[in-house]
Amino acid sequence: MRISFNWLRRYISFDSTPEDAAQILTSLGLEVEKIEHLGKHLDGFVVGEIFSVEKHPNADKLTVCQVRVEEDSASLTQIVCGAPNVRTGQKVAVGLVGATVPRNQHDASGRPFVLTKVKLRGVESNGMICSEYELGVGDDAQGIMVLESNAVVGKTLAQHLGLDDVVLEIGVTPNRPDCLNHLGVARELSAAINGKLVFPDITAGKESSEKISQFLNVEIVNTADCPRYSAKTIFDVHVAPSPEWMQNLLKAVGVRPINNVVDATNFVMYELGQPLHAFDYQHISGKKIVVRTAANGERFTTLDGKEQKLSPNMLMICDSEKAIAIAGVMGGLNSEISEKTTSVVLESAYFSPLSIRRTSKQLGLSTDASQRFERGIDPNGTIHALNRASALIAELSGGKPLEEVIDNYPNKISSREILLRVSRVNQILGTHLSAEDIQKHLSSIDIHAEDIRTANSSSKTFRCTIPTFRPDLEQEIDLVEEVARLYGYNNIEDKMVSAIDFKSLHVSDATASDIARSWLEANGFHETISNSMIDSSSAELFSQHLVKILNPLSKEMSVMRPSLLPSMLQNVYFNQNHGTKDAHLFEIGRVYQHKSAENSSDVVHGFQEEERLGICLTGRKYARTWFNGDRLADIFDIKGIVESVLFKIPLDKIRFIYYDSSSPLTVQTIGIEINGTYSGYLGKVSSTLLQRFQIENDVYVAEINLSNVKKEERSFRQFSPRSKFPSVLRDLAFIIPKEAFVQELQSEIYKSSGNLLKQVTLFDVYEGKNLPENVKSVAFSLQFVPDEKTLTDSEIDAAIKKIVDALNRKFGAELRRV
Amino acid sequence: MLHDVQQGGIFYFIDSDYCAMTIVQNTLADEIVALRRAAEKRFSELRSVDDLEKFRVEFLARKGSIGELFDKLKTVPNEQKPGLGKQLNELRSFVESLFESLQQKLNPGKKGEEAAIDLTLPGRTVPKGTLHPITQTLNDIVAIFTSMGFAIATGPEIENDYHNFEVLNFPPDHPARDMQDTFFISEKILLRTHTSPVQIRVMEHQQPPIRVIMPGRVYRNEAISARSLSQFHQVEGLYVDRNVTFSELKGTLVTFAREFYGKDIKYKFRPSFFPFTEPSLEMDITCFICSGKGCPMCKRTGWLEVLGAGMVHPNVFRNVGYNPEEVTGFAFGMGIDRTTALRHGIPDLRMLLENDVKFLEQF
Ligand SMILES: [Zn+2]
Repeated sequence: MRISFNWLRRYISFDSTPEDAAQILTSLGLEVEKIEHLGKHLDGFVVGEIFSVEKHPNADKLTVCQVRVEEDSASLTQIVCGAPNVRTGQKVAVGLVGATVPRNQHDASGRPFVLTKVKLRGVESNGMICSEYELGVGDDAQGIMVLESNAVVGKTLAQHLGLDDVVLEIGVTPNRPDCLNHLGVARELSAAINGKLVFPDITAGKESSEKISQFLNVEIVNTADCPRYSAKTIFDVHVAPSPEWMQNLLKAVGVRPINNVVDATNFVMYELGQPLHAFDYQHISGKKIVVRTAANGERFTTLDGKEQKLSPNMLMICDSEKAIAIAGVMGGLNSEISEKTTSVVLESAYFSPLSIRRTSKQLGLSTDASQRFERGIDPNGTIHALNRASALIAELSGGKPLEEVIDNYPNKISSREILLRVSRVNQILGTHLSAEDIQKHLSSIDIHAEDIRTANSSSKTFRCTIPTFRPDLEQEIDLVEEVARLYGYNNIEDKMVSAIDFKSLHVSDATASDIARSWLEANGFHETISNSMIDSSSAELFSQHLVKILNPLSKEMSVMRPSLLPSMLQNVYFNQNHGTKDAHLFEIGRVYQHKSAENSSDVVHGFQEEERLGICLTGRKYARTWFNGDRLADIFDIKGIVESVLFKIPLDKIRFIYYDSSSPLTVQTIGIEINGTYSGYLGKVSSTLLQRFQIENDVYVAEINLSNVKKEERSFRQFSPRSKFPSVLRDLAFIIPKEAFVQELQSEIYKSSGNLLKQVTLFDVYEGKNLPENVKSVAFSLQFVPDEKTLTDSEIDAAIKKIVDALNRKFGAELRRV
Repeated sequence: MLHDVQQGGIFYFIDSDYCAMTIVQNTLADEIVALRRAAEKRFSELRSVDDLEKFRVEFLARKGSIGELFDKLKTVPNEQKPGLGKQLNELRSFVESLFESLQQKLNPGKKGEEAAIDLTLPGRTVPKGTLHPITQTLNDIVAIFTSMGFAIATGPEIENDYHNFEVLNFPPDHPARDMQDTFFISEKILLRTHTSPVQIRVMEHQQPPIRVIMPGRVYRNEAISARSLSQFHQVEGLYVDRNVTFSELKGTLVTFAREFYGKDIKYKFRPSFFPFTEPSLEMDITCFICSGKGCPMCKRTGWLEVLGAGMVHPNVFRNVGYNPEEVTGFAFGMGIDRTTALRHGIPDLRMLLENDVKFLEQF
């Protein structure tokens, strides 16, 4: 909401600066987001009068002008001018020495420059007579700008152009419809500075002796949506531009001046908050206004020339034959005020906020009027606004208002009464305000608080009468806020919550995600945070149970991701295109699915959210350094990372599931089972998927559901006694068939060796030269740890023999010989 | 019976009777380890130049213990040779370095050995990972509140209208809903526009006293720009008990802001409007980029809006079945993404979601 500082001061005497006003209003909850000095770019420019023009002695195209620039002084300023149209007696815009000319017409890009005292071909010049272009008020650069002959010499140019105003841009919150106008803002300001409001003077002007009832009557069919409809008629109107003062104020708040009738209605809306509409009486058939809802499919052309399709719940203003306005939203083209208009009907109504809001939403049409109606205007302000506007129109257009007003107000909306306990105010705020203080604060915003303490109650209670322009004040707590606001939030003590209440003390405890996050960070991974909303066509590759957004920002963000994989691939793609080919990334985030048949554990029925850990490796595992050769990442890197992360969480009951076939998304895929539940996968992204995301290099990924891992499912590791006896290491190498699995070999080693064997480590895998084609060599290091005594060789040998036999039997493994 | 004893080999099978009489045969790997220990022990006993020379002959001379192990290497199977060879080389360099270190101490005049090492070589670093700056901000905020006794709660991002709006005192068709442009999944299901529905879910399942913070991701249907994202993060806080006051709300926020933004910050509170709190406030702190002088980050006001808060509205308490005459409480919330951008001087919020490694590795 733009509030003009000049306009504001019509209702309150305020001697401080606009900045001070902004600070006060902000502290009251009317946040001033921006302060705009309208004429700031014209500082140093004044209205001057050319006293004489002489030819420059040394230049043909230049003239030497004597210019009067002070109102009450005859002293003259000499300015050299190059414009062809300069003449004695003209009123002109003069830039004085020191002023910054907004645009330089001799500079290709029109950059501003500062005026200094100069000699032009030997003649002193003390300023500049400016063109429209130079002042930034128009495009004419050919000659100087000539002002109206009645312009007052010495006035600042900003004043002359109506730009000596400051606009406060206020972010009015939806609960304060009363502050969408200047009087409302003035009321707040006056409450804060203990000032007095000056209400606009409404002298009805000369009224015609004819009664309105002879010319118009109003019928409200739908009284629920239109509780009040007031109207006034003005005859003998001369439509013309409105006066400069009104135009300037309207322009300052961002309203385009149209003509004296329309401008007066806008002016009153910005002054008092009551939206008004002016109809051309000539175009109202049957001397009748009917307020009814639209017919289904009815069409109506609004003032902006657009045809609107109406639905039956929309409230319309009609005459005896046709619709003439969409109530509270916009008038119709068929009854608008034109230059030919001579008789005007002014509408000043109160419509139900809900009705206007629905209509405005449905039509996608939001206007100054609809915004005010839907937030709630003062139902008891219609007549006042009507009289104010009609007096203005009479004054500006010479029109004659007919006697009396039409006021159709079947069910009066009266002031609300709210009980306010003094004790409650102090209980909520933590203050010690007295009843008198509270009463004083409330009365400063026109809330009358009457003490109704009863004999048997110890605490004072007020019965507060709420003015109808404050629809937001509905219950006691609303008044507590008013008191706090007016007392000043910053005057309330900042009380530290006294002591930590140990019975509810929370001991923070790291989740599986927290641990995974810090392990991955410590091991060189960068954490990503990606958009949950992704492209629908790629999402379909990952799930059939997509959560689709009805009103997405774009197709690229139209479904909720069902997997972290698309996010990770998008990140790889982005980095590839920005010159980063090696990326070690991880993300901990939610994935979303919509399965309506799903179980009762859904928090929101039919929707499943799951927190997952995604890990992604592409390019080199190690960059080349002086101590390390570089190497591309492969499946065993991602597998090792997954093993380490899960171990760290700590989770010990992990099983990898190896598949015979690959999926369309990943190859070399390994399933991950945690505590017996399938919890994710790791693998290499398939070439089809890489192509789809336009990724050039191999990408290895893992995606693990961590939301199932509850604290109690995590391993709590137990101490195991360390042996006092020396352990013995033995290495064994086997030749095994190529298709045999190392994991199976390893578990067989454990199984067959008895309980002395504590650890088996694979330390070599070899195939190729010196070996037959269908075999590979694997070498294990075995650690034997005795429990009770030093191991003898025979014990170890016996264990080893068992291992060798078992592996031979099961896999055809041969102990390797040189 | 097998009689296949191979000295220093990686496998050997022996007749059990025979075995009892043989000395324990270690593998070459074991011997390397043993020799290293022996060298370390002997080294610790060295006192003179003579001792040092004896040490050299014992271990490093061509016929010394290390040399012997190199001889044994010839007899191990081929596929073992590279691994063991490497271990042996490492052993030799290790013993050499021991020798050299003492030699320098005993002959301080000789500087040549020191000069041989270029200590300006970069250290053998390990790859440096990073947490996303949003996570870092979130962690810092959460740590402050958990230290004040707040527990952590989370809730669904796909919410129903009831929890996201209605219970929070946004009636249907109320203009307050315009404050939060919403993504809809269906008529009554939406992407939560704030973390406030988690407050409700906590209160629905728990009786006061409640002290909880609720971090999470939220969505607004707003055009994406340098200053606004359609997906961002919030932390919400809720404190409900008997006699919780507005004054304590302010105190809690001041404590937080001093901890998070710095001890010396200046701050102010101003009234604001949120349907689910009353009185509502917003907190501003002096812009830490321009120290309050006014800059583009603070829209030239010198102040930064850092959070919104208020006393829980009695309607909200009634909606979750609490009696507003018995309990009072406060709630607060702040945006994490913008805070993160301010803290790190990130000029464009969109960078936070691009996941450019060159961006991420800076934090
Ligand atoms: Zn700043």
